[in-house]
Amino acid sequence: MTLWIDVSCILAVFLALTLLATHRIVGMIKIFALQSFLLSLVPLFLHADSLSGRDLLFSFGTMVLKGVLVPAILFWAIRHISMRSEIKPVIGLGTSILFGAVLIAVAFWVSLSLRLPGKLFSSLVLPCSLATMLLGFMIMVTRTRAITQVLGYMVIENGIFLFALSLFDAMPALIEMGILLDIFVAVFIMAIVLNHINEEFERTGGSASRAKMGETL
Amino acid sequence: MLSFLILMPVLGALAMLLPVRTSFRLWFLCGVSFLHASVTASFWRQLPASEWQGYLVLDPLGLILLSVISLLFLSVSVFMIGYFQHEHRGNRIFTACLLSLLSMMTLVSVSYHMGLLWVAIETTTLFSAPLISFHRNQGSLEATWKYLLVCSVGIALALMGTFFLAIAAHDIHTLFLPAILSGASSLSVNWLKLSVIFLFVGYGCKMGLAPMHSWKPEAYGQATGMVVVLMAGGLTQCSFLALMRVSQICYKTGLNDFYASILIVTGVLSLGVPAVLLLGEKNLKRSFALSSVEHMGLLVLGLGLGGVGIFGALFHMINNALAKVVMFLTAGSVAQKYGSSRASEVQGVIHIYPVTGVLLLAALFAGTGMFPFATFHSELLIINAAIISKHYLLPGLIILCLAVIFIGMARIVLEFVYGASTEPVLAKKENLFMNLTIALAAAALIGLGLWVPAPLSRVLHDAVVLIGAS
Repeated sequence: MTLWIDVSCILAVFLALTLLATHRIVGMIKIFALQSFLLSLVPLFLHADSLSGRDLLFSFGTMVLKGVLVPAILFWAIRHISMRSEIKPVIGLGTSILFGAVLIAVAFWVSLSLRLPGKLFSSLVLPCSLATMLLGFMIMVTRTRAITQVLGYMVIENGIFLFALSLFDAMPALIEMGILLDIFVAVFIMAIVLNHINEEFERTGGSASRAKMGETL
Repeated sequence: MLSFLILMPVLGALAMLLPVRTSFRLWFLCGVSFLHASVTASFWRQLPASEWQGYLVLDPLGLILLSVISLLFLSVSVFMIGYFQHEHRGNRIFTACLLSLLSMMTLVSVSYHMGLLWVAIETTTLFSAPLISFHRNQGSLEATWKYLLVCSVGIALALMGTFFLAIAAHDIHTLFLPAILSGASSLSVNWLKLSVIFLFVGYGCKMGLAPMHSWKPEAYGQATGMVVVLMAGGLTQCSFLALMRVSQICYKTGLNDFYASILIVTGVLSLGVPAVLLLGEKNLKRSFALSSVEHMGLLVLGLGLGGVGIFGALFHMINNALAKVVMFLTAGSVAQKYGSSRASEVQGVIHIYPVTGVLLLAALFAGTGMFPFATFHSELLIINAAIISKHYLLPGLIILCLAVIFIGMARIVLEFVYGASTEPVLAKKENLFMNLTIALAAAALIGLGLWVPAPLSRVLHDAVVLIGAS
């Protein structure tokens, strides 16, 4: 089963890189949903020979919250804000892919010197989770739209999630579910605040103040 | 008893969502805060037993924080009765979020599991966000957004730090604080160092320490005074509790010097940055927000210096909370009366509202640590700790920063109080509930400055022993 975990890790990084190079917000949300779905399968691969109820519950919970509900909320938000594409990233898409590649190299280089104690099921988990986190930060920094910043935040969380799987046994299930729920509610509240900001702009006669605020939406 | 203290506000929050009269909600909120405060007060007699299989434990450190939180909520809920006499916006979501926040802050102060601590602190961020955007105007929404994003990302780093801690504690296989402390020798030092850095940056971000303070002037400047009191006196100190938990672990594993150097550098930065920024500030609430960055800096400095510094920091937690009540409730009441807190629009408060003017002066002295306010004593203890620990440059630096901060604060507050008077938007009438709350907090602060009661001093000493200094 280590093979499947490796494949998931590499795909997660690959999808984060694709996210960095995607222009359309709808496309970005879909890629994020795919990444979350993929990561939610990893707990099943971990204990493939003896699946416990907890693995199933955790995997299912992640799938529903991150793979379905969070993308649904984000879709709801962009429908209300009615903006479909990124206006202008801080740096061009080509350049950001190049930077992304550098970040992946950095993540692998850093994790060479870090040694996880105990039995390690896959040597790719640590570098891949670091790379996903760094790419998430990259998305947050280079994109100007609020909704893409939320996506960047969620990619960081996905990276942390991948890392958390390596110590799946140390964390009580209750805490894991609490963490998941918190992240879900965070996105929910962010979407609501975004919606309020948008309403406020429309009420006060949008474009001038929007220009003043510097394309935050 | 502990789970009652956590669940009771949640039930209250649900009751707030029912369609009832605005004034009923306010009195109900008062009732819940009073109940919370009286249960907390009973813990001073005897600490309660642990609950939920050891997840919830109240130790002296937690007791100090819990009492501070309880006190803050009590004063805010009394203040709100006065505030909502002139506020026409509905308070359904507002009060529900307040009570949920109370519940989560209580959970922070009693959680004895590093994972649960993270969950509770993250949840406080989520419940405080809707409170900041209470006025729903462009500025407050923008501030809410900034707060949410900066703190969420910061807290995500703390989550990473918590996982690193779990790896460091691989042999112990749990994140319960007592287990980590007793098995400290088996922790892997390299992972622990990494974990300490991530936890510090993450929780420091939530605390608003200097390089990560960017959300603070915005959020405190836009939120109403009551919310800021809870954030500056309660939420930030919840994160400080997390930093103290890290300190406990570092002490047991001999990483004390490593952690102390991080704390001292950040502490000095958190004193220097607001000192520079305050000199050009034109907004009362924003300048108070910068002063709050300074107080957070003092807290981590005290923790980093160790010994009497820890005692000073713990004492400063209480004083800081009381000072924040005086400062931000006065600022809130001024902002409500004038519809602004910019120096260009509000001047000569003392000519129109004599009591509020005097309270504003008290806020200046309480916030900058003047005698006889207790903030003076805790700041002195922290400076003293710097001298004892032979950092001879540090006391001079601290005093210089405090002096500059005093000049910056005095400049704006005196202009507010004594300038040529401008017309307020509200009727020229003082409000009893609002002024009484502030005056009581100021009196308590002076009282603590003159005399520290024996039980308080005992609990402070017990808490210092927990962190590890002699």
